[in-house]
Formats: sequence, C-alpha cells, structure tokens
Amino acid sequence: MTDHDDVANLNEVVRGLPALDVEPTTAEQIARRARNDVGRGPSPLRFVEPAIAAILAAGYLAWAVIKVIESLGG
Amino acid sequence: MDERAWIDGLRRGEPGAFDAVFAAYRRGLYGYLVRMTRRRDIAEDLLQDTFLRLAQHARKLAPDTRLSAWLFTVAHRLVISWTRAQAVRAQLAGDLPAREVGSDDRSPLGALVDSQAQIALERAFASLAPPYREVALLVGVEGLAPTEVAEILGLKPDAIRQRLSRARIQLAAALGEHSPASRRVS
Repeated sequence: MTDHDDVANLNEVVRGLPALDVEPTTAEQIARRARNDVGRGPSPLRFVEPAIAAILAAGYLAWAVIKVIESLGG
Repeated sequence: MDERAWIDGLRRGEPGAFDAVFAAYRRGLYGYLVRMTRRRDIAEDLLQDTFLRLAQHARKLAPDTRLSAWLFTVAHRLVISWTRAQAVRAQLAGDLPAREVGSDDRSPLGALVDSQAQIALERAFASLAPPYREVALLVGVEGLAPTEVAEILGLKPDAIRQRLSRARIQLAAALGEHSPASRRVS
C-alpha cells in the first residue's frame, strides 16, 4: 500500500469522527485573554524567577567557596 | 481575508486578525488537543496557551509563516510538556496504573459523541499509540501533508510515512474485522 493510499484511507475513516469544539463561553474567554496580548510580546516578568534563582545559586556558591578557603586556611 | 492578510494583521498587532485566526483554527486545534490529552479541561488550557503564544509572538511572525504548521507545532510541544509532567506526577503518586481511556462511557469524549459508530471510532483512535494517533490526527483529520507533519513533529518524512502506515493498520485492527469502518481502512 502506498503513502497516498494510507492518507486516502485515513481521510475516509476519519469522516466518521465527530467535530469537537470548545464551549462558546470558554472560547470567548480564551480569545479575550489572548487578544489582549496581541503584539505585546511575552511578559518581562518571566525573567524575574530565573534571575532570583541565579542570584541565590551564586550566593550559595560564593558562601561555599569561602567556607572551603576558611577551612583550608585555618 | 486570506492567511497572508491575517499574518500581516498579526504583525501589526491587530486584534481583528487574531480573531480571524482564532475562529479558523480553534476547532482543529481543540480536536487535536482533546484527542491527544483525552481531557477536555486540559485541552482548553493548552488551547489557551497555544493562542497566547501566537498573540505574544504576533509581531515576530515571518511574512511567509504557515499558520497551521506554526499553531500545531506549538500545540504539539505543549502536549509533550504536559505528557512529561503527567508521567512525573504518576511516578510521584506511586506509579499508579494509567486508566484505560476509551473503556468508560462517562469519559469526556463519550459525552461528546452521539452514536455508536462515532464512539467506536473515537475508541479506536484512543487505542492508537500516541505517536501514531498524532500523525493520524494531523494527516487524517486536519488534512496536513505528511511533509508538513514531519516539520511540525521534527521528524523525517520517512518516519511520518511509517507511522502513517502503522496507524492505518492499528486503526483497522482496533475497529475490528467486521465493522464497516474497518473495511475502509484495511
């Protein structure tokens, strides 16, 4: 059976599948939320969490290095 | 208004263009998401995430963007992320066996379909392994070309052809030898 036959057979069998749709009120909510973001770009707040994590990790690393130096020195 | 006009409108940040794209692709994406996640609530969340990403990337879209491929690529990635998160949650919950979807008449899909033939077909689709189900949905239901599906899934066209063939065979087996639908796919 060729690729074309596979596609044709699938197209034929899926005709029986019911069309699914989201509830109209839910669809309107989704559209409204997304519409407000058109052209705005992702929120700059998405950088805040990684920045805080990076600062904490760097601070912990610095503290650990200082402790190692202290223990070696004395 | 054609797709090129919609993209131009999105690049200019026009809400009207977004509304047109939402109306054109909402059903297809929702059907894909319901049948991949098997949960309407999750499908609604992922549908929203898909369109939020479109809205946020509207100005960065290339003029020759193919919206169907773009949107289904995003939806596919969201499904993968959700599936991975589900696997982690299942492990944390003590490796509870996954419930056999499609065996319960009160499932969300069961509530949506209104005939035995449709239920049988939905169950047959649900029984396909996710990689095969995904290809069957994108090619069979959404009418995307196998080359487009290869691009969306990040696979080689040969892999898509193989999955397509196996999906057809599994679908025929799932529908049973004697059902009218199986005769169409065998």
